[in-house]
Amino acid sequence: MQNAKDSFYMALRTRLITINPERTILVRGAVRPGILVEEAEAPFSQIPSDVFVLRWQGLGVDVDLDSTMAAEECEILYQTFGTQSFGGLDRGRLLSAMDEELVAFFQPFYTPKLNYTATPPGAMLTQVFWDEPGFTPIVTQRDRLSRSAKVLVYSYQEQGE
Amino acid sequence: MSDTAPRNPVSAPQMLADALLRSVAGTTALLRVTGTNTDTSQSEVGLVATTFFDVVVSPVVMRKLRPSWKEGGESKYELLVSATSVESQLNALDIVSAQALFSLALLVTVDGKDYLIESIASNEAFGAPYLYRLLLREAGQQGV
Repeated sequence: MQNAKDSFYMALRTRLITINPERTILVRGAVRPGILVEEAEAPFSQIPSDVFVLRWQGLGVDVDLDSTMAAEECEILYQTFGTQSFGGLDRGRLLSAMDEELVAFFQPFYTPKLNYTATPPGAMLTQVFWDEPGFTPIVTQRDRLSRSAKVLVYSYQEQGE
Repeated sequence: MSDTAPRNPVSAPQMLADALLRSVAGTTALLRVTGTNTDTSQSEVGLVATTFFDVVVSPVVMRKLRPSWKEGGESKYELLVSATSVESQLNALDIVSAQALFSLALLVTVDGKDYLIESIASNEAFGAPYLYRLLLREAGQQGV
């Protein structure tokens, strides 16, 4: 299942670079695309703004198949305060831009499954696929607008996983 | 309204802060810092592919904040850190700012216990910090 989670994140990350290369974040001294996995970073008291944060939640397993299928629920959280030099008046527009980016980087709804413990990552036999995201309503907290989207990510368990 | 009277910056506030920290049994803290070249796919998905080293800052003083206990909640602490010590480490490590140093820190170790940084603030005089205040909470594996 970890390979599916890694592959899903790397697919979204690669697509985000194409869609909006200017969405970046400085993490541990390195400039990276503006998307990160919450459980793979140092804990933060508040999620960083203007980036996508992946949080893995539910898990379901179907063993009544030729290959065991796992379905993992991923919540993607994002928030914005708008542009400081604009007094935050564009925060609604920036959140809409993030909505559109999120819809765009989910397509196509599949990616090859890779094993990232190897260098370079090793290709596996199956694919990781997911359904359409479900968006939550916008939460307004003073000048902060936040929203999240949930998606179920499916993968088949392969030999050795 | 700002004070526009011409005054040359002096290091007196920093020296005074250091003296106060030492006078209340100032101790040493270790910042567990990651290397800066961590932008690999392995480090982004939680595979440890990075280096860690400890940055020593001293004198520091730790104090427990007013308890607001709740089930499963960790205690919170404030760590008062000498700006002089931070400044010397910035020069030694060639890091541009204290903010950058603290953002590289995964953990703070004081008296053998690990803490996570919640937030950072600084006290300044004449435009130069003389004290950093780190809001800490106990790292999860040691929280009670």
